[in-house]
Formats: sequence, C-alpha cells, structure tokens
Amino acid sequence: MLKPSVKLTAFALFTLLVSACESAPAGTQTEDASGEVADLSAPAILALSCSGCHGPQGGAIASLEGRTSDQIRLSLLHYKSDVDGGSVMHRMMRGYTEADIDAISTYLAESVTE
Amino acid sequence: MTDAFLNRRDLLLSLSGVTAFAALPFPAAAQVRARLVVIGGGFGGATAARFLKRAMPSASVTLIEPNADYYACPFSNLVIAGMRDLSKQRFGYDALKAEGIDIVPDAAVDVDPVARTVSVKSGDTLPYDKLVLSPGIDFRWGAIEGYDKAAADLMPHAWKAGPQTVLLRKQLEAMEDGGLVVISVPPAPFRCPPGPYERASLIAHYLKTHKPKSRLLILDAQDKFSKQPLFEQAWSDLYPDVIERYGANEFGRVVSVAPASGILSTEFEDIRADVANVIPPQQAGAIAHKAGVADMTGWCPIDPLSFSSTLQPDIHVIGDATIASPMPKSAFSANLQAKLCALQITAILSGQAPEPTTLTNTCYSYLSDDTAVSITGVYTNADGTLQSVPGSGGLSPLMAEDIIRHNEALQARTWFHTITGQTFG
Repeated sequence: MLKPSVKLTAFALFTLLVSACESAPAGTQTEDASGEVADLSAPAILALSCSGCHGPQGGAIASLEGRTSDQIRLSLLHYKSDVDGGSVMHRMMRGYTEADIDAISTYLAESVTE
Repeated sequence: MTDAFLNRRDLLLSLSGVTAFAALPFPAAAQVRARLVVIGGGFGGATAARFLKRAMPSASVTLIEPNADYYACPFSNLVIAGMRDLSKQRFGYDALKAEGIDIVPDAAVDVDPVARTVSVKSGDTLPYDKLVLSPGIDFRWGAIEGYDKAAADLMPHAWKAGPQTVLLRKQLEAMEDGGLVVISVPPAPFRCPPGPYERASLIAHYLKTHKPKSRLLILDAQDKFSKQPLFEQAWSDLYPDVIERYGANEFGRVVSVAPASGILSTEFEDIRADVANVIPPQQAGAIAHKAGVADMTGWCPIDPLSFSSTLQPDIHVIGDATIASPMPKSAFSANLQAKLCALQITAILSGQAPEPTTLTNTCYSYLSDDTAVSITGVYTNADGTLQSVPGSGGLSPLMAEDIIRHNEALQARTWFHTITGQTFG
C-alpha cells in the first residue's frame, strides 16, 4: 500500500543563499564586494524550508546535488498527486501549488552547486 | 514607487555608517554597515546570525550567548534512555566565529528598545540597528507549588539539555527494578509538543529492557496531545504493561510537588515517584520580557512575514519564544524562522517590503531505539497570521509496516545531522 519514497529530494543549502548575479531578477538581490548576491527572490525564500532536512551529505534524506529542474519538479509533483503516499514529502507537497513547485525546482536546480 | 524609495532612503540613512548607495539601482545590503545583534545561540539565534552575515557581509553581526557550548534538545531523550552519549548533543560557535560573527560570551540582561541598546551582565552596552531575539523558553518556577530551581535538582525537568539530561539519566539508572517513574506534562504551549511522549516511549523502552517490573506514569495537564494516535498505538504494541497516562480530565494535572519525599500531587491524589521528571509550565525567555516584546500570555506576538515584534519596532523574535501557532515550538521551526527572518531583515534594509511565503515544519519522535514517527505542517503567512494550508501536513500513517517506522528513524538521524550542521557546523 505504501510506496517506496522517491529518492530525489535534497538541496545543498549553504549554497542557496548566494547565487550568480545573472539568474536573479533585478530588485530581489543585493550585491556584495565579490559580485555575489544575496538572493531575496520569492523562490529563494520558498526554498528555505528544504534545507532544514536536505543536506549535501545525503543519507536517509537524499541530496539533490546535480539534479535538473525537471527531475526535481517531477518528483515533487509525484509527491503532491500520489494520494496514497504517507511520507513526510507527500504530506508536505500537498500544501504547495504547482506554481510553487515549478519555482522551487527551477531555483534549486540553478542554485545547488556541486 | 517614490514612497518606497523614500522609505528605503530613510531606513538606510537611519543606520549607522551607511556607505554610498545612491549610485546603485538597488542598495547593496552587503554595503550597509548595519549593526545586527542576535541574542541566544540555539537553533534560532545561531542560524539567524549566520544567514544575516552571509546576506550582508559588511554588516556587523554579534551573537550574545553566555554558554560556550550548546546542548541540543532534539535527540536528548535518547540520552535519557541510555541510547546516546550527551557529547553528541554538544555544539560550539567556532564555525560562526570563522564566518566573521562576533561572539559575545555574556548574558543579555536588558534591552532598551528606544535607545536601541542591549546591556550584558559584565556591564557593557551594545548598540543595534536591528535586534533578533531568540531567547528560547524560561520555566514558570512556582507555577507548580513547590517546584522551584532547587527542586529541579531532585526532580529534574531535563527540558533544557545538558546537566539536567544527565541527572535524569542517572536517576533512572539508580532506580531499582519495580520502581515508578512519573513524567509531569505542563499545559500548552510548551517547547516540543511531542517531546514528553517521545520521552515516555524511550524511558519505557529502557525499563522494559533493563527493569521490567517498573512502570511509567504520565500526569498530563493536557487532554489531547501531539501525535496521540501514533504514541498510543506504540504504547499498546510495545509497552502494554509499562505506560499509563492520566489526562487533564482524569485529574492528571500536577498542582504541587514535595521534592524531598518524591510526592507529586494532583487535585485528586498524591503519588510517590521513585523518579520524577517534572516538565514545568513555560514562557518566553526572560530577556523577551525585559525587551518588552512579550505580551500578557508570557509569549511574543510577531508579524509572520518577517517575525518582527508587533510590540517593538526594530526587534524581531524567532523560535520557541514566539506566538507562531500552528507552527510548533521546535528546532525545525526556529531554524526556518531564523532563515526567513534574516532574509527579510536584509530585504527591509534594502528598502523592500517582505512578501508572503510558505513555511513548513517536520518533527520526528522516536517510539523505540530504532523506530520513529513524524508530524509535518505546511503554513502560509499571507493573511497576517500563520495558518495551516488545508489538505496538507499530518502524521505518519497509523497502519504502517515496520520498515516505515525504521525509515523515519533513519530520516530523523539525517535531519539531526543536517540541521545541526546548518546551524553550528
């Protein structure tokens, strides 16, 4: 009845806050002396929840390093739509819209560095 | 547009040592030499300090924390049950220092929200432009008659990890087989809502394994409790002759104690415990009251967009001290609130208004040495309060194969590793 959880969820969070200038929309970032920006965009803030559990080391909660936005999105959408699922990710994704999931997936794929 | 710019300009000019921003299309937060002070080095405060410094590298970030070591509460119930060493709960601030955060190893004793200064025990005064309070909880000594600080040496609370954790462990080890352990649970709200029941489960595991004639009684000031169906199922399956619980409507609330004789009294009866764990009623840490950010409930009302105090401008409050229900008082919540607060302070100092977002919480609780369950919540802060998103969150499945419980125990360990790494590592 309970399906095995998809191992496709982990974000190296210490890299989330600082990302390349070019990818973030103007007005949502602040530049420091090295040219890096603190990303204050809505997707960056939405993704803050992820890093409490998902670290780069993986383990029982997988790391997402190297995942594409499509991989992340499909996994999160699966959790959201799988009505029989009882995992933490199932319960959590039911509270996110598809637009949220798109934004998080794109953001994480771009910001998680190897 | 114009107003926003003026607000931004006013804000920036109000800060000390602001460097040139006029030439930039958007103010560089990294160039704002704001004085940012954080009080409290737990999961909330240490995380806030780190994320403030990373978002605004040129700002001065000061963390005021009297203890050189921090003992984490999550997983400390495993220590009490003899399944884990206390040393694994200990964390320090060297990594924060290495990132350029000033650690003031002193206790904050007062806050002047008008002058915007923090006084510390040694007599120094620290000015701030933005203050983040993450003071955690204090106990309401005396709320249970006879339960004061001295009583905690005989009837440990073990609700702040460290020596109290060890004391309760040693009492359990010293107890003879056939003894009675009593856990007194306070009325909500308190730190870690499922914590007393995880503790009961793990102590029951220890008793069943090492002192099988012993029993555990929960005297509870609550009727209902977190993860109740999951805990009750586990107690019935794993510890059927060990754990008994009296809820509030069964006269479970402890009203007084006599520590020297081991007596806990409800309105109905006096019970003599061989080991008594009294988790006292709680309120926001003392400095929150000094700062004027706590209300008559003893807790701190906040604007959930940025966790700014609704009572004092330029002070933000995060973690257990806040009124953030339905977000629970958990390490996960404190860590997430800290990250959100740090980025929103950065936005505010850059002249941007905080936008609504979605927040989460996940708490794991052990049922035995290698099984666990979880509760998850998803919240929106869009309407001026924190509200659960309908149809989301909830408990681990009630009917589940052992592998599910084992997996969640493994996830709990990974979570602990990740969140302590993000906070202190």
